[in-house]
Amino acid sequence: MSDGPDSGRPAFTLVEVPQAPEAPAQDDMAALFSAPVQDGTRRKGDIFRPGPGPMVEFRGVTKTYQGNSRGLDGVSLRIGTGEFVFLVGPSGSGKSTFVRLIIRELRPTEGSVIVGGRDLGELRRGKVPYLRRAIGCVFQDFRLLPDRTAAENVAYALQVTGHKKAEVRRRVPEILSLVGLDGKYDRLPRELSGGEQQRVSIARALVNHPRLLIADEPTGNLDPETSLGIMDLLLRINRTGTTVLVATHDRHTVDRMQMRVIALQEGRVVRDEESSGYHDRTGEVPA
Amino acid sequence: MRIGMFFREALRSIRANAAISVAATVTALIAVFILGAFIPSFMYVRSAVDSQKAKVDVDVYIADTASVAQVNSLRDKLNGLRTDGTVAEVTYVSKEDALRIMRERLRDPSVLDELPSNPLPAKFNVRPTDAENADVIVAAVKDDPALDPTEGIVYPESTADRLLTAAKFVQWAGFALIGILLLAAVLLIGNTIRLSIFARRREVEVMRLVGATNWFIRWPFMIEGVICGLVGAVVAVGMLWGIKVGVVDAWAAGADSALTKTGSAAGTIAFPMLTLVLVGAGALLGAIGSGITLRRFLKV
Repeated sequence: MSDGPDSGRPAFTLVEVPQAPEAPAQDDMAALFSAPVQDGTRRKGDIFRPGPGPMVEFRGVTKTYQGNSRGLDGVSLRIGTGEFVFLVGPSGSGKSTFVRLIIRELRPTEGSVIVGGRDLGELRRGKVPYLRRAIGCVFQDFRLLPDRTAAENVAYALQVTGHKKAEVRRRVPEILSLVGLDGKYDRLPRELSGGEQQRVSIARALVNHPRLLIADEPTGNLDPETSLGIMDLLLRINRTGTTVLVATHDRHTVDRMQMRVIALQEGRVVRDEESSGYHDRTGEVPA
Repeated sequence: MRIGMFFREALRSIRANAAISVAATVTALIAVFILGAFIPSFMYVRSAVDSQKAKVDVDVYIADTASVAQVNSLRDKLNGLRTDGTVAEVTYVSKEDALRIMRERLRDPSVLDELPSNPLPAKFNVRPTDAENADVIVAAVKDDPALDPTEGIVYPESTADRLLTAAKFVQWAGFALIGILLLAAVLLIGNTIRLSIFARRREVEVMRLVGATNWFIRWPFMIEGVICGLVGAVVAVGMLWGIKVGVVDAWAAGADSALTKTGSAAGTIAFPMLTLVLVGAGALLGAIGSGITLRRFLKV
C-alpha cells in the first residue's frame, strides 16, 4: 500500500492556514519541542525503541468485533516518523478502530500493530500506561476531567508521569499559553468554549512531549473557523518533529491542508496518497 | 510529595461526591457499630464460660480405713499430676474440716450435734488447670486403694461437659458471626465505592488515557475508602462509648447486679483496646472494599 517517507518529512505547502489570533508565534512551539528535554525527568519508562523505522506500522491487521462485524479488514500501512497524516472515511469505516488499536485500547484479531518499534501484541499489560504516555491523544469529545480547571487537567498528565511539583508549575502555564489559552488557566471545562476545551486537551496531549499525536475527530464538535485554528495548532506541533495522525471526516480541512490522506472504507484502505484532499483526484467520493 | 498528592486527590473526590462519601461513611459506621457491640458481648460470654470452667473441681474422698501410707501415696499421685500441668491445686480437707464446712452451710447446725461420730470422709479437693483435665485426674486415681468405697471420686461430670460444649460453641459461633459481619461490611463498602467509581467511570477512562498506571489511579480511591472507614469507625466508637457510660456501666454499678453477686471473674475487652480494634477494622474495611471494587474497573 504505502511506504511512508521514512527519510525526512513530507514537503507540505501551507495554504492559507490562518493564525488564530491568540496563538503565539510558531517559534515558541519549535523552541519548546525541538529542544531535547533537559530536566532529569526525561522519558522515564520510555518504551519506544529508537530507530529509523516507521512510527506506526500495521501488518495485515484485521479486527473483528463480536457478532462478526469488521472494524478493520487486512490493513497494512506505515506512517513515518514526523509525518502528518489524515485518516478519512465515513462513520463506521474503521477510523476509530484504527486509533484504538494504536493506543492498545483494542487488540487486533489478526496481524500486528507496531508503534515506535514495539509490537503491541508483545507488550505486557503493565506497560500499556507507558505506551500511552508516549502517545498524545485528542478526541472529539475532549475527554477532560470535568471537576478540574484547565491547568489541573494538564497538570494531571504531568503528575501521572511523576513530575515534580515545581516542574508541573513551570510547564503547565507554558504549554497552555502555547496553545493559546493565556488567562484561562483556572477555568473549568464547562466555562470554556468547545475550541478552548479542545485546546486544553491538546495541551494535555502535548505536555509529556509525545512522539506521536493522535487526534480522533478533533474538530467534530467545532465550527469551521475554530476547526481551522485547531488544525493550525496540530500542524505547528507536527513541524517540531511530532508525528501527527488525524482521523476526520471534515472535508474542508483535509482539502485545505493537502497532506497525506489514507482513506478507509468498510475497514479497508481504499486510497493512500501524498498531498491530497478528501476526495481522490478523479473527484470520486471515497465514502 | 506523591503521598500528599494522593491525599489531595482523595479529599477532592470526597468533596466532589459528597453524597456517595456520606453513604460509604454511614455504611462503615453501621458495620463498625455492630462489630463494636458484638465483640465485647462475645468476649464477656466467653470469659464467663471460662470462669465457670475454672470452677470444675474434682473431690477425691478418702476411706476412713485407709492407712497413712496409702493416703500419702494418693497425695503423691495427685501432686505428680500437678508437676505435669494437669492439676492446678490440691487441697487436703480433713474429716474435721469437712464437718466444720458442713456446719457452716447448714441453717440449723445443731442437728450435727446428734451424730455419734463424724460420718464425713476426708478428701483431696483437686482443681484441674483446665476443665478438660478432669477425666485425666479421674482415670489416674479411680483404682486407688485409699479411695472411700461409697463416695469415691465426685466431680460435676455433666456440668463440665456442658460447659465445654458451650465454650466451644460460643467460640465458633462468635468467630463465624464476626467473619460474616466483616464480609458484609466489606461488600457494603465495596458496593458504595463502586457507585462512586461508576459515577466517575469517565474520569478513570481519562486517567488511563493519559497513561496513569493502575496504582496511580487506585491510591486516591483507596485513601478515600480508608478515610470514609475511619470517620465511620470514629463516630461508631463515640456512640458505643456513650452507650457504655450511659447504660452498661450504670447497670453494672447497681449494687444488686447479678454480675457482681455471682462473683464471676468474667471480664471483657478494655475500651481503649476495643477502640483500637474498631478503628483499625474501619480503615481496613475501607481499603479492602475499594481495592476489590477497583479491580474490575482497571482491567483492559
